[in-house]
Amino acid sequence: MVHELLNGLSPAEVDLVLALGTRMTVPTGASLFRLGDPADRLFLTERGRIRLTLPMQVRGHEEEILIEEKTPGQTVGWSALIPPYRFTLSASAPIETEVIALPREALQRYFETVPAVGYKVTSNLALVVGHRLQLLQAMWLREMQRSVELRSA
Amino acid sequence: MDMLLMGLCMSVFGIAVSAIAFSAAARPTSSAPPAQPELPAVKPEAPARFFADRAVPAIPPQPHVPVEVLLQQIETHIRLEQAAAESFVAFPTQALLHSKTASPFMN
Repeated sequence: MVHELLNGLSPAEVDLVLALGTRMTVPTGASLFRLGDPADRLFLTERGRIRLTLPMQVRGHEEEILIEEKTPGQTVGWSALIPPYRFTLSASAPIETEVIALPREALQRYFETVPAVGYKVTSNLALVVGHRLQLLQAMWLREMQRSVELRSA
Repeated sequence: MDMLLMGLCMSVFGIAVSAIAFSAAARPTSSAPPAQPELPAVKPEAPARFFADRAVPAIPPQPHVPVEVLLQQIETHIRLEQAAAESFVAFPTQALLHSKTASPFMN
């Protein structure tokens, strides 16, 4: 399994980082974390799927609306490494899913000991965050474009 | 004596006329305003709108679809939009940014 967060690390470095984490199985339909929860761990998806959602009011009821879906190799919960360390989305497993949970404190201690690994991991994290920003920016502009067209109709 | 009485009467009459003229001048204006020439009728302007100078056309009411179907439409819409955004991020062009969606949620 190649994890996007660990790109560029040697196999030995990958093993050392993964050894900091705990393997978890998330049952079908279970929640991994909720919007606003303290983010003290980030997750590497090993198997299955994670749905990232935001609450939306639909006909007077709160419904969890899909924002993004994460598949094996992808990273979930980067809020754990970025202040104020609160999850900005909710995550759940639509099917049984396996993740590796990496605690922030253990990661930060390791990065202080081996800054080269910290640099590579945070560079990969910047790619993940930047990609999300670019996607949402394009999606936002497309929605705005439709609003403008509706208004001009 | 006659001349004196005549002068006195003239004085009293003059004072009375002066008093009437003064009271007429000092009287407050009447509560009813004087009639104004009628202005041409002006059509009242539409109420001001914040950040909007045109009325937004009303979205036609959707037939009542079950909430499950609506949620499915929203999810399909988001997946399609995400795919369009992925294409844009991979190769940014104006055409990709403004391409129409086939999403049933919007059509």
